[in-house]
Amino acid sequence: MNVATFVAKNALRNGRRALLTIISVAVSCALLISLLTLQRELTTPPESEAASLRIIARNKVSLAQPLPARQLATLDKIPGIVSVSPFSFFGGNFREETVTSFAQFAVDPARFAPLMVEGHILAGTYEDFAKDRNSCMLGADTMKRYGLKVGDKMKLTGTFYPVDLDLRIACIYEGTVDDRNVFFHHKLLDELTGDPGTVGTWYLLVESAEVSNDVITRINKAFENTSAEVRAETERAFQMGFISMLGNVKLLIGSISTVVVFTLVLVSISTMSMAIRERFRELAVLKALGFKRRELFSFILAESFGLAGLGALLGIGGSWLLWSQIDLQKLTNGFLVYFEVTPRIMATAGIVAALLGIIAAIGPSIAVARMSVVQGLKTLD
Amino acid sequence: MPANIFAPFIWLTVILGGGAALWFVFSTVRQGRLPLRYNFRNVVVRWRSTISTVLGIALVVSVFVLLRALARGIEASSANTGDPRNILVVRKGSQAESGSLLGRENFRTLQYFDEIARNEKDEPLISVEIIAIVSMPRIQGPGEANTLIRGITARGMELRPQVMLVDGRWFQPGKREITVARRLAGRFAGLEIGGTVKAGPDKLTVVGHYDGQGSAFDSEAWMDADEARSIFDRDQYSSILLRPKDDAAASNIIAKIEKDKRLALRAEREVDYYSKQTMTAIPIKILAGLLGTAMSIGAIFAAMNTMYASVAGRTREIGTLRVLGYSRRSVVLCFLVEGAFLAAMGGVVGCLLALPMNGVATGTMDFQSFAETVFEFRITPALMLQGVAFSIVIGLLGSLLPAIRASRLPVISALKSL
Repeated sequence: MNVATFVAKNALRNGRRALLTIISVAVSCALLISLLTLQRELTTPPESEAASLRIIARNKVSLAQPLPARQLATLDKIPGIVSVSPFSFFGGNFREETVTSFAQFAVDPARFAPLMVEGHILAGTYEDFAKDRNSCMLGADTMKRYGLKVGDKMKLTGTFYPVDLDLRIACIYEGTVDDRNVFFHHKLLDELTGDPGTVGTWYLLVESAEVSNDVITRINKAFENTSAEVRAETERAFQMGFISMLGNVKLLIGSISTVVVFTLVLVSISTMSMAIRERFRELAVLKALGFKRRELFSFILAESFGLAGLGALLGIGGSWLLWSQIDLQKLTNGFLVYFEVTPRIMATAGIVAALLGIIAAIGPSIAVARMSVVQGLKTLD
Repeated sequence: MPANIFAPFIWLTVILGGGAALWFVFSTVRQGRLPLRYNFRNVVVRWRSTISTVLGIALVVSVFVLLRALARGIEASSANTGDPRNILVVRKGSQAESGSLLGRENFRTLQYFDEIARNEKDEPLISVEIIAIVSMPRIQGPGEANTLIRGITARGMELRPQVMLVDGRWFQPGKREITVARRLAGRFAGLEIGGTVKAGPDKLTVVGHYDGQGSAFDSEAWMDADEARSIFDRDQYSSILLRPKDDAAASNIIAKIEKDKRLALRAEREVDYYSKQTMTAIPIKILAGLLGTAMSIGAIFAAMNTMYASVAGRTREIGTLRVLGYSRRSVVLCFLVEGAFLAAMGGVVGCLLALPMNGVATGTMDFQSFAETVFEFRITPALMLQGVAFSIVIGLLGSLLPAIRASRLPVISALKSL
């Protein structure tokens, strides 16, 4: 029998306890991973290179306040801009739904095409969309979810605008960070609402990342002290702003995670000390046989490390499997679209488990180091 | 929520089952068939494992209770809003006041309805209002968040007696003044009295703070309706609030508005409208449920571990008990009681850990208006009871198998064991 089998045999000799420990570490690890992933999904918008090239200009008062359509002429004169399109959130409900998980935006198709840097057309043609005022461009995710195809009609009931839409699907796009949305003609929206001369926001593409700051300053300056002051920011900054409105999600989930880790530590420490207390006499015998403290410590450490590691492996693998199989979009009604367990998160959980194994071994090791051989041999329990 | 249909049955089962179990335990104890004192002493003697088990369960329970308290807070603020006599009218199809648009002609039609009650000055109690959203910088933490500004009329304030001025004075129409909810002022910069709110090219001066007494109005700031319309450049209003003469008149008005296709409006009782505005609480409830389940599984295994160890360490004592004449059932029961007692201590400690958060104000984005909603953690006695009940369930589940094992120990060999 070598040292490794000795440790393994010791760890597994109370099979039930080993199993319970492994499972509780696994469950906690899975929980930790899920929490960290949730936090990441809620606080980090999907990355896209073009997001730093695209700028959203909204009314300085708030996103809900419209902008005058006449601003377009001024925007067109600002150098560094490739294209500007109106971009108005319609907020309609699809069919009979009360909560619709995809957004609809009114755009100017001729000006919007250059803005779709990452996207490409999957079915139908963009020209068809651009020509027909009653048509729309639909994201591939929504198409799949509802089983729609090019040529189908989409009925949308307005919740923000007092009008309803009945759109023909002209083309399907995919490849953007959010392949769920519907885009339709701003002219149609103007027609239906009696042309109030307003847009929700301006959405624009700049030539390069270098000029984007300059363009933002120019836009903000151009409308200063007018009846509708503008706040322009990169798409990414805009998304971060939206997230910050959720409040302190990071703190909430962070504190829950801490509690989970703390509970995990408690459980492991108590298990390890139980395992060692049971074996006090044997360890005393080992000491009597001439094993040094350091060696005893490494036995205990290896055992606790091994149990924690096994639990972590199960928990990390299990949660990765779970979240890659579940259709969370369906489950949460569109609240969460993506739920990706990243390697970074898995590594975090692994490190936590490794530290756990070390911390849990400290207490029992000190107890063993302190005991005298005679005292240990006397222990009955 | 479909879960609510089953809730009474679940509670009934819990109460009946718990009652039966208690009766069973007490009758066994009275007949001297349960060595309870032995168990309680054990909990004290093995203080190290007791503390770790109790703390573990306490943390699980406190997370569960706090998340539920968050959801309760959102629900309470909605449930606490509105007067049962009032009727709120919004545009058909809009889900929230903030997304509703209605014209002055709607107001003109409605204000001549005979069913509307009148005040002492013989004015009809009807108010046409506008909701605007203004982005403001937070005091704590980075960034800005949307806040609701309600353009309101004198009648509208009469219709909301629960809102009371606590500091400064009410706004005066035409003077670019605004009165802000005290709780909102605690969360956003520049909302102290004398501060200014920038609304486009205009500036509004904060002249007072009001208290909405835990209602949804605590997330709002109030100013004059027509002034708001001009500042925010809006032709249309958002909603109409009115008070019918009596209950019959109320049903009458709702039916009348519903029937009139020209109006395209939706009328419902103010309290009903607000009780539906709890969508924001749903994700938090889901999170509480998921976390509660996952963490309790972990806690059950931990409790099981402790109880197994405690059974293994007491083999000889259990043998002695059996020799003294305690039946197997008594042994099972006493270990279950011990586990439940341990866990209940954890539950109580967990509730105590959570308790300081009661009443602490916090906020999140409302998913209907996209504006900040301010609410408080609400740790109610019912919620604490739930937390303790939850911990007892953990304890019972965790100690069931170890208890059965204890009862099955063969008496003679148990006595022989070291």
